[in-house]
Amino acid sequence: MAGSVTAAVGKVAETEPRWYQRPATFVLLGGAALWAWAGHALWVSTETAPIAGPQLEASRYFSSSFLERSATYGRFLEIESLLGMATLLVVLALYARHGHRLMRESAAGRIGTGMLLGMLGFGVVWLAEVPFGLVALWWQRRYDVSHQGYVPWLINSFLGLGTTFLFVCLALLVTMGLAGVMRRWWWAAAAPVLVAIGLAFTLVSPYLIPSTSPLRSPQLVADARALEREKGLSGTRLEVQDVHRFTTAPNAEAAGFGPSSTVVLWDTLLDGRFNRSEVRAVLGHELSHLAHHDPLKGLGWEALFLIPAWGLIALLTRRRGGMARPEAVPIALLVLVALQLLTTPFFNAVSRRQEAAADWGALVATREPAAARSLERKLAITSLSEPDPSGFSSFLFDNHPTAMERIAMTYAWEERSANGQQNLGSSHLP
Amino acid sequence: MASDHGFRPVRLTIVDDLRRNRATVFFRALLALPLMVWLAVWAVVALVAGAANWVAALVLGRSPSPLHRFLSRFLRYATHAFAYLNLAAGPFPGFVGRPGYPIDLEIDPPARQSRWSVLFRAVLAIPAILLVTIIAGYGANIYGLNSRATLSCLLSVAAFLGWFSALIRGRMPRGLRDLAAYALSYGAQFWAYMLVLTDRYPSSDPLTAIGPLPVRDHPVRLETGGDLRRSRLTVFFRLPLAFPHLVWLALWGLLAACAGVINWFATLIRGTPPRAIHRFLAAYLRYQAHVAAYLFLIGNPFPGFTGTEGSYPIDLHIAGPERQNRWTVLFRLILVVPALIVLGIYNSLLLIAGFLGWFAALFTGRMPLGLRNAGALVVGYAAQTYAYIFLVTGGYPYSGPAEPRPAPAFPRQPLPVPILAPTPVPV
Repeated sequence: MAGSVTAAVGKVAETEPRWYQRPATFVLLGGAALWAWAGHALWVSTETAPIAGPQLEASRYFSSSFLERSATYGRFLEIESLLGMATLLVVLALYARHGHRLMRESAAGRIGTGMLLGMLGFGVVWLAEVPFGLVALWWQRRYDVSHQGYVPWLINSFLGLGTTFLFVCLALLVTMGLAGVMRRWWWAAAAPVLVAIGLAFTLVSPYLIPSTSPLRSPQLVADARALEREKGLSGTRLEVQDVHRFTTAPNAEAAGFGPSSTVVLWDTLLDGRFNRSEVRAVLGHELSHLAHHDPLKGLGWEALFLIPAWGLIALLTRRRGGMARPEAVPIALLVLVALQLLTTPFFNAVSRRQEAAADWGALVATREPAAARSLERKLAITSLSEPDPSGFSSFLFDNHPTAMERIAMTYAWEERSANGQQNLGSSHLP
Repeated sequence: MASDHGFRPVRLTIVDDLRRNRATVFFRALLALPLMVWLAVWAVVALVAGAANWVAALVLGRSPSPLHRFLSRFLRYATHAFAYLNLAAGPFPGFVGRPGYPIDLEIDPPARQSRWSVLFRAVLAIPAILLVTIIAGYGANIYGLNSRATLSCLLSVAAFLGWFSALIRGRMPRGLRDLAAYALSYGAQFWAYMLVLTDRYPSSDPLTAIGPLPVRDHPVRLETGGDLRRSRLTVFFRLPLAFPHLVWLALWGLLAACAGVINWFATLIRGTPPRAIHRFLAAYLRYQAHVAAYLFLIGNPFPGFTGTEGSYPIDLHIAGPERQNRWTVLFRLILVVPALIVLGIYNSLLLIAGFLGWFAALFTGRMPLGLRNAGALVVGYAAQTYAYIFLVTGGYPYSGPAEPRPAPAFPRQPLPVPILAPTPVPV
């Protein structure tokens, strides 16, 4: 009897194909190749701007007291941020281990319970990060970068969790719903669904930015329209966001695509500290982002990150029954956040590349390198950012080129302009 | 539903037949003027006596008998006067607070009180002040120096609506009378606590405020199950955790509104709501009740998104479609206005109960029973009101606390409900 069983097992083993003979292996390999090709295509779609201009001394543009002050300010926040990340991982690791016990607090079904665990995971993370946020705010207030009160910050931060929870629920609805139907291969199917949701969100995101109103200055609107034409764009929405109650730091952003393409200027940029040429440089920068389709590329990068991340999550959550089960959600959170932290330097590099390209695009469009230099100097001073941080710090934390790199770029543009080579020979950088 | 059946040192007793004389109802506010003037005079003396009682209780550890008697008499008189003003009782009361009025107050003799609780009475009373403001109208017309009529509390709303009803029918509706009695009961407990007659904290539990509750067979009834344990973590994040539910509820609400309009036409023509629409709207109302219960800490577990019956400890049972009077269907949006007025104030109570319950549950890991039951009363009333608006039922919302009839299933045709107590109810 025992002999016949052994023979049968041996027969099964003989008939079962090896891993390299399975169709799934080929599908996976093909997928991996496609993924690598897409990543490469996305990377090269953003041309490298010549940020390696002449070597400049920061002390030529900033006072020694400012350099010292910004270094102290930045260093503290960096250390604080690293401690915050470590705490985040510890908290999530503990939550991954014990979080499934909170299932008893749910009367919802499988997916609803998963949503509860996902939201509570982010809630626990918020609780753990609150002290770091408060310390950071204290530091910013001390250096006059922020004048937001502690209580309003806490309340806003707490209520902001509602939006986070909403997205967590949506993501878990898709992943757990698909995992319930497709079991082990849900992650491959989830990608197109979430990309479609991401696309829809990117499209409507400009309309969700709070406290905005149309840009009213006729001169700036005229400047923006002229720059738009330079960039081959039209109909971009120009909005101003009211943020001066919370911060003195200036900023701007480009959001949306197609009909929802929007440039949002913070009202701190229009409070008289920046002259018209400098604001024009900001407009040129943001319009370049839109011309380079950076919001869509951002979505592409996220999709490229999520596909393998979900594959890994699918693998690591098997012990708890896979993503179809709510008890797997705390583990999924840990894996996702850990992967995000690990890949942060890479995504910072991607962002720096896009920002540099937008800077270059702004120079090409405005042809005002002196205004760009002045802007970068003022931006650094008002936001107290270190003009020339260490390479390690930049690698870990910076998603924009440093102020000195950006200033150097203006010289590089002047040099090329003098040689009649403004366009870098690129289709992406007109 | 569990209720606070523990011993209460301040109890409201009701021996009222609900009959009201139309002439005295019509002139009720004017007739109550002498009562209010006398109350104001008495209140000034009572405040001084209350301060003396506070000092005495702090020193002696109990309220001295003469002061206790005087203040008890004052509270009893205030209850009589406000019961008369707010139509909770029919006969004109005496001016000395003698026992025997249809809405009366029993206060236990002086007992030992914690000196710490006496010392910090004014601080400890803050949550009760919030509640009494919305239940009995502290500062508006409670035992008051300021007796302007407003619709900002349950007591005045019950009186306002009851005035019209009593004037037309010669009877005070039982629901509104009980609502007023609940408010008077809480007000009396509050002032007994403030005047240091007792150290028993006022209970907002509507199920024990007015003695035995009427048994009602409404087609929409809320079942309050589950325990009072609360997870501190989910309590802390309760508002953001409910956010996805609120968004889903809003989206579902859009469809429910459309279904409600269709249901109105269909019920007007057929006399009975179509079963499919009834089922859809019933699920929506059930889900709404689950979400409100979760948000305001009446229930502990996270609810599902489908409003399935039996899926949540605080559950709504809705009878199947039943024949409705076409006239009431036609004028439903007008008929529902009084219920919406009550609901408006009830919602404020829910908000405050949830707010106070949040702190209590966060610190103790339990929801206070009184707050839980007060919240459940509102959720149940809201469900009955929306069910009436959406024509899920023809049963008018019952505004007072009631005991649901323990029946396994609802009958097709609504049974005649004894809204008016045929005989006085001794409590």
